[in-house]
Amino acid sequence: MKSLALISVVITGWLLLSAVGDFPDWGDPNSPANSYRLSQHFVTETFHETAVPNMVTAVLADYRGYDTMFETVVIFTAGIAIISILRRFTSDGADAGTEKVYEKRPDLIVDTTCRLMIPIIQLFALYVIAHGHHSPGGGFQGGVIFGASFILIALSRDLQAAHKWVPEQRVLNLAGIGILIYAGFGLASMFLGQNFLDYAILHKIMPASPIEARYHSMLGVEIGVAFTVTAIMYSIYSNLASKGTMKEGL
Amino acid sequence: MIEQAPALILLFPFFASIIVALAGIRIQGVCFPITVISMAASVLSGIAILGQVVNNGAIRYRLGGWEPPMGIEFRIDALGALVALAVSVVGLLTAIYSKRQVPAETPDKISQYYTLYLLLMTGLIGMVITGDAFNLFVLIEVSALTSYALIAMGPRRATLAAYKYVIMGTIGASFYLLGVGYLYIKTGSLNMFDIHEQLIARGIFDATAVLVAFILITVGVWIKMAFFPLHAWLPNSYAYAPTTSSAVLGPLVTKVMIYVMIRLTFTVFGADYTFGRLDWSDIVVWMSVAAILVGSISALAQTDLRKMLAYLIIAEVGYMVGGMWLANDMGLIGSIYHIIADAFMTLCVFLFAGIIFTQTGKRDLNALDGLFTKMPLTMVGFLVGAFSLIGIPPTAGFFSKWYLIQGGVASGHWEYVIALLISSLINAVLFFRIIEIAYFGIKPAEGHGGHHHEELSKESPTKASFSMLLPLLVTAAMLIGLGLYNRDIVAIISDFVSQFNFGVISR
Repeated sequence: MKSLALISVVITGWLLLSAVGDFPDWGDPNSPANSYRLSQHFVTETFHETAVPNMVTAVLADYRGYDTMFETVVIFTAGIAIISILRRFTSDGADAGTEKVYEKRPDLIVDTTCRLMIPIIQLFALYVIAHGHHSPGGGFQGGVIFGASFILIALSRDLQAAHKWVPEQRVLNLAGIGILIYAGFGLASMFLGQNFLDYAILHKIMPASPIEARYHSMLGVEIGVAFTVTAIMYSIYSNLASKGTMKEGL
Repeated sequence: MIEQAPALILLFPFFASIIVALAGIRIQGVCFPITVISMAASVLSGIAILGQVVNNGAIRYRLGGWEPPMGIEFRIDALGALVALAVSVVGLLTAIYSKRQVPAETPDKISQYYTLYLLLMTGLIGMVITGDAFNLFVLIEVSALTSYALIAMGPRRATLAAYKYVIMGTIGASFYLLGVGYLYIKTGSLNMFDIHEQLIARGIFDATAVLVAFILITVGVWIKMAFFPLHAWLPNSYAYAPTTSSAVLGPLVTKVMIYVMIRLTFTVFGADYTFGRLDWSDIVVWMSVAAILVGSISALAQTDLRKMLAYLIIAEVGYMVGGMWLANDMGLIGSIYHIIADAFMTLCVFLFAGIIFTQTGKRDLNALDGLFTKMPLTMVGFLVGAFSLIGIPPTAGFFSKWYLIQGGVASGHWEYVIALLISSLINAVLFFRIIEIAYFGIKPAEGHGGHHHEELSKESPTKASFSMLLPLLVTAAMLIGLGLYNRDIVAIISDFVSQFNFGVISR
């Protein structure tokens, strides 16, 4: 069986490498991916069409916004899937555990450091989310950073301490609301008579021109993405760390 | 409203899934009605789409209003509309069936179950209607993740089976993604129709990268559809999953992947490339012959009812892959017709297996002991499904097999024709064995004394509840309906198939 695996790996590797000679040179401006009207359009027209200087964000959240919506759904699904497999609702009361806060005595150095760090991490996360149009960043990255701050609380003290800030129910609500925000922008454009996710029409309900409406909607959907990613990051951590009981973390 | 139908068919289950996730945790009672209503709305949109496509030709729907290839578009032709409708109908029927099963099998996770169920439907419908190769990957991810979880929610063995499925499924999806990446390097586009135009415009059909992309995509999709010899993940996953999960995954996941294979082969690479330049028909048809025989013979060896049905799926996948690769219109029509027919007949027998498992608590065939007298309606529903899998007219299974055999004869692939006939015979043996057990009971020689037998039947299964019986009987009726109206369905399919001039392709 092992030799069979080796053979299939070698064949796959050979297959992948055999096409490399056929690829255009690294960074070749005349390669199909660079010269085709698709990338040309993104490079030259993005700012005129969407008012967003960072064209990666524009491609992600507007031109291919439908993909990104489902990428967010993938993360949401992963969270729900992990809950559905791991979470154990014990009869002796998951609620009884929540009263025992600070089971582990917080370490002075770790606790103080994290106290200092967490606000900065969260502030930076908000910056990454809000500034995704102009610089690298956006909802996914910011959401992960924000989720990390909650995981840090759980790590530095106890899962229960983090639970007081973000109870399980609230985490799941946040995750769902995040997708609802994203899809809500799409649905709103539909109600206003355009296709799903056509943000331009939202200028009717925003104090902005159609192009600016795209800009603002992109910020909106990024916030939705951030909600979901933050919540699911924390949810996955708490389920894995407590083996589904939500009582005691690492 | 009607021009938004292409989006609505997918958005109904999508929004319902979020509502179920948010509200269902507090009020578990809302999960089931929301699921059924949203799936019913999705079916209605599906009907609207099919009507539009039949009358006015393919629908294009630009998401975000962007012109393709900049944005993503849905492009729904006759094939897509038909399969999308079939997917949503199966989703609706299984949703009705789930009413008692889900609270019984996953009592503390009802809202999570329905959330995943609706997201699975979203993913599968999205895969069918999308016209974008990368978007297809994203939706493969959505449907794959949900199906892993839906399987893993079963008993302990299901978790292990789901784990194997995760590994295999991820490899398959990665292969597909790599293939799309190679195509993007060579063409600079992700829209399926645009990739095809670019392949022609740049004249790069001979390029190695395109060939490698074709191999990667084909193998990736084969893994996902459990085509022999890449099928090892399927039997245990479907046999041990919760009954609702196997009733929805069994009919849909493999069938939608076959749709994806047809879509990618004909729309992205084109029939000329696949059957003209490469001409691998002989090898792939032989592989499908192997799949049919291995699937059927393994099914014969099973005593677990659902595992037996799972092996039949592997044989059916062989039918459809072989039918497509016969490279003539009859084979392709048969293959597409079989997607629809097989979705319903697999649904029919899996619903039956689920009912039997719930009512008797047993997995093996002995559970069926003398059930004809105890659950006559359930058995009637099952009989239609079994007849369709064997290929007895007037069920849909007969007509799809008829086209496949015609295709096999026309292309001279006699081995495929013979494999189909052998497989039908094996199906007949399998199902008549079940019918015998169910009708005459198990013989005393097999361990049940006559008196003992009487006692067993006292604590015997009660009749299936209405919510389980209704989907089964509707499915059975649909199988006969699909058979009787085969001419209309084939007319719709021919709409799609006639674009490809198989006669011209040099063979």
